[in-house]
Amino acid sequence: MVQLDLVWKAALALTGLGMLFGALLAVAFRFFRVEVDPRVEELLEALPGSNCGACGLPGCEAAAEALAAGEAPPDICKAGGPDTTAAVARILGVEAETGVRRVAHIRCRGGESLSPSLAFYQGVNSCRGAMLAAGGGKSCPYGCLGLQDCADACPVNAISFGEEGVREVVIDRCTGCGICEEVCPRGLIEMVPAARRVLVRCNSRYTGKKAVSLCKVACTGCRRCEKVCPRDAIRVRDGVAYIDFERCDDCGECAAVCPTDSIQIWSTLPGHPHKGEFTVPPKARKKKASGPGHEKEGGSDSCAGEGPGED
Amino acid sequence: MSELWRYFLLFLGAALVYNILLIRFIALCPFFGISNRMETSIGMSISVIFVMVMATSVSWLAWNYALEPLGVGEFLYIPSFILVIASLVQFVEMVIKKASPPLYKAMGIYLPLITTNCAVLAAATESVKPGFFTKLNIAYHYGFLESVIYTMGVAVGFSAVLIVFAAMRERIELAPVPKFFRGVPIAFMAAALFSLAFMGFAGMFKL
Repeated sequence: MVQLDLVWKAALALTGLGMLFGALLAVAFRFFRVEVDPRVEELLEALPGSNCGACGLPGCEAAAEALAAGEAPPDICKAGGPDTTAAVARILGVEAETGVRRVAHIRCRGGESLSPSLAFYQGVNSCRGAMLAAGGGKSCPYGCLGLQDCADACPVNAISFGEEGVREVVIDRCTGCGICEEVCPRGLIEMVPAARRVLVRCNSRYTGKKAVSLCKVACTGCRRCEKVCPRDAIRVRDGVAYIDFERCDDCGECAAVCPTDSIQIWSTLPGHPHKGEFTVPPKARKKKASGPGHEKEGGSDSCAGEGPGED
Repeated sequence: MSELWRYFLLFLGAALVYNILLIRFIALCPFFGISNRMETSIGMSISVIFVMVMATSVSWLAWNYALEPLGVGEFLYIPSFILVIASLVQFVEMVIKKASPPLYKAMGIYLPLITTNCAVLAAATESVKPGFFTKLNIAYHYGFLESVIYTMGVAVGFSAVLIVFAAMRERIELAPVPKFFRGVPIAFMAAALFSLAFMGFAGMFKL
């Protein structure tokens, strides 16, 4: 038997409840409304929304609020890159110089065969953990430990194992957020403009023979690169070379004279703008090798650390 | 048996013996989705306790003053309770946003998530609708206070398990887990063992 009255009652009950709550919400909205800058919503749309925190603010919403309030520069979102900066600038109605895309660069290439372990570290798979356990056992105290910290911290999985267990950045995935830079206990990671090709691949503060004894491809602080650089863009500080990316024009002179190949040139594969490998210009190097004088001919291992600029 | 003692057992039964996550396997999505970090799971827990108790209170009113007098509760309880919970969460979000921006910042992200949380609907339904869930070995009269206490038990049980599980997962992250078990698989196994342990509470008291 169909109970027709139930249909009416059901309709009444749901309509009643719906209207009651609807009315309550409408009234509540009048009283509890918070005036929000409409641009915040738009900005939130424009930002990547991955809440990576690279801007230093807690999430994209905070960044949108800071942008709308004018407390943050339009290029605050490093992860979003130039596209996001342009969109943000459009919403805010300001002109923004589009920032340079930056990518992480790991300043170490000394794997097991180049910088042998003095001890085996067994424990938590974390570089910070290994650092606590007598520095992790690697002979070079400045080199990459090859454990998990930067790879775990990376929000876009752009850090993988490179040659011999040293970490490597997958350039096309890297958003340049700089989180890995902060987690690396050895301060190995620096953010470099993505367009730059010539990079220093060592972080060893030791100079001369000491540096080479710990790692065969260490920067010895010989200052040959400094002398050869036509634009004064490379400087040795604390025993290791640093490139001033504002001045560098990728000429590669420094890589050509580096006795230990710790300065290298990133050459992209044809057709793959983000894939490539580090190389050293061989021809120029031979020419220079006979230049400075009292230096043996031969492999980089034997002549390293004997340079005239060593001090 | 004093009334107070009965309320206490009701709370305990809802929180431990019939734990919503580990014994009844309701609301497993936030259990795995939120539990990988301590901070987020605490935020979620506070929001869940708050919303669950509010939702049950309003659902109780809706049931006893609208659905039951009209005799339509038997088949309309799900849509009406969903309506209640959805509007309530909207309302709570609005109030918090106005009254306490810091609290809104801490809880804000989880509130909309909770709207779709099945545990809230489950707690509201079984504590309000007679005969829906009668496994507790306790006389249950579906009074307002009882419903609220029961729901609080469910929510506290949910929160306790979520927080303990988050702590566990944070430690598992650092443990030498075999490669193919890392991440979610080992979390599922841990949850299963955790659930087994909770089954020890079964029959803890009988009244």
